[in-house]
Amino acid sequence: MLLHVNPASGVPTYLQIETQVKHYIAAGALAPGDALPSVRKLAVNLRISTNTVARAYQDLERDGILRTVQGGRTYVAENPVSFLKSERIRRLRPYARQIAVEGTQLRLSPREIMELVQQELNTLEEVNERTGDLDRKSR
Amino acid sequence: MSELAILTENLAKVYPGVRALDGLNLNVPRGVAYGFLGRNGAGKTSTIRILLGLARPTEGRGTVLGFPIGREQVAILERTAYVSESKNLYASLTARELVRFTRGFYPSWSDKAVAKYAHLFEIPMDRPFAKLSQGNRTKVYLLLALSQEADLLIFDEPAMGLDPVVLDEFLRILVQDVIAEGRTVFICSHQLSDVEQIADWIGLIDHGRLLLEARLDDIKGQFRLVTAAGNGLPQTESPEVLWLASEGNFHKYLVKNNADAFAAELGRQGATVAEISPLGLREIFLAMVRKEEACTSGNTGEMAAPV
Repeated sequence: MLLHVNPASGVPTYLQIETQVKHYIAAGALAPGDALPSVRKLAVNLRISTNTVARAYQDLERDGILRTVQGGRTYVAENPVSFLKSERIRRLRPYARQIAVEGTQLRLSPREIMELVQQELNTLEEVNERTGDLDRKSR
Repeated sequence: MSELAILTENLAKVYPGVRALDGLNLNVPRGVAYGFLGRNGAGKTSTIRILLGLARPTEGRGTVLGFPIGREQVAILERTAYVSESKNLYASLTARELVRFTRGFYPSWSDKAVAKYAHLFEIPMDRPFAKLSQGNRTKVYLLLALSQEADLLIFDEPAMGLDPVVLDEFLRILVQDVIAEGRTVFICSHQLSDVEQIADWIGLIDHGRLLLEARLDDIKGQFRLVTAAGNGLPQTESPEVLWLASEGNFHKYLVKNNADAFAAELGRQGATVAEISPLGLREIFLAMVRKEEACTSGNTGEMAAPV
């Protein structure tokens, strides 16, 4: 798994890890049942404290995205826990607000902003289809 | 066993004419990488000297690895490795001789570690210390400190003279052999980017007092730079909101938490909030210790131009 963190950005390092893991899962690069590197290995690779990686894994586990089995190995959860829709919306709202504010500041029209979001959704879908095809072929 | 690697309570150190430490309260958890930051003369080295028993506090007390400082100093020194800021060892001794000289002091000393780190750092083991470059002198210090297999490692500017490859190797070793093993790293450095990379806790000292002590990720998750435009905006400092600077109608605030609520309040006072942006360690450091002026670095330092 190829993760990258930028310690100099204002974004907490553990959040950077969480976001990237979620992104890989959303894009199909990480599938349910796939193993993640150990806390120690990932920390050493990224040259960051093991505590930081452990915190990211714990958060993802609490959200039902990862699960840790006895012996300490961590996997992508088979059946991601589905939150209530209201909770999922609550979590996404800050990002939607950010897109709205940034887009307006950059003088993009509402339609242009919506189109951008739509394009990103399309890209995700394409990637998912492609990796899905690959999976089927390899099986 | 104390859960804190380092604890100080109201530590004060008065030198003639100078109050180097002025009621310092440190809480360094075990098993973390703790970045101890401050300007020159803020009190960092005084703190370390007291922790190691090299200086006596004027007031206050503390423990290192659970042992009271000043009273059980041998127990502390046996379990603590220290790399001082001035990298001076016996000039005529080679690294190999320095290893032989040092190893007897430390019960947990590992000759296997010596061989490993001497190899990783590519240290010329048979050249007298005085003839080594700055970078190689630093490496000898790191070799001696790491080979103690200490429970607590105190580093004062450990990266001095190291090239980027060795520095990266050093960070890898710190994570793999020290932090992942549950041992504690206490690191003073002005190389904020290195500290930011590896530290999970930050203590910020200024004029002998602790301004801030928290998990770095929590600091980053909460601290925001709020830029707002408007007339008659508050310029007072509250504990949570540090007013930084204004230029014409533009004002900058460092908000320690609830930045959204603060921005909303500014909005109610008729201000236009231009930006709420996260800050890197460098900006936070500058904002906290240099109160007179705005932080002027990087992307957050520029005043937004009136649109």
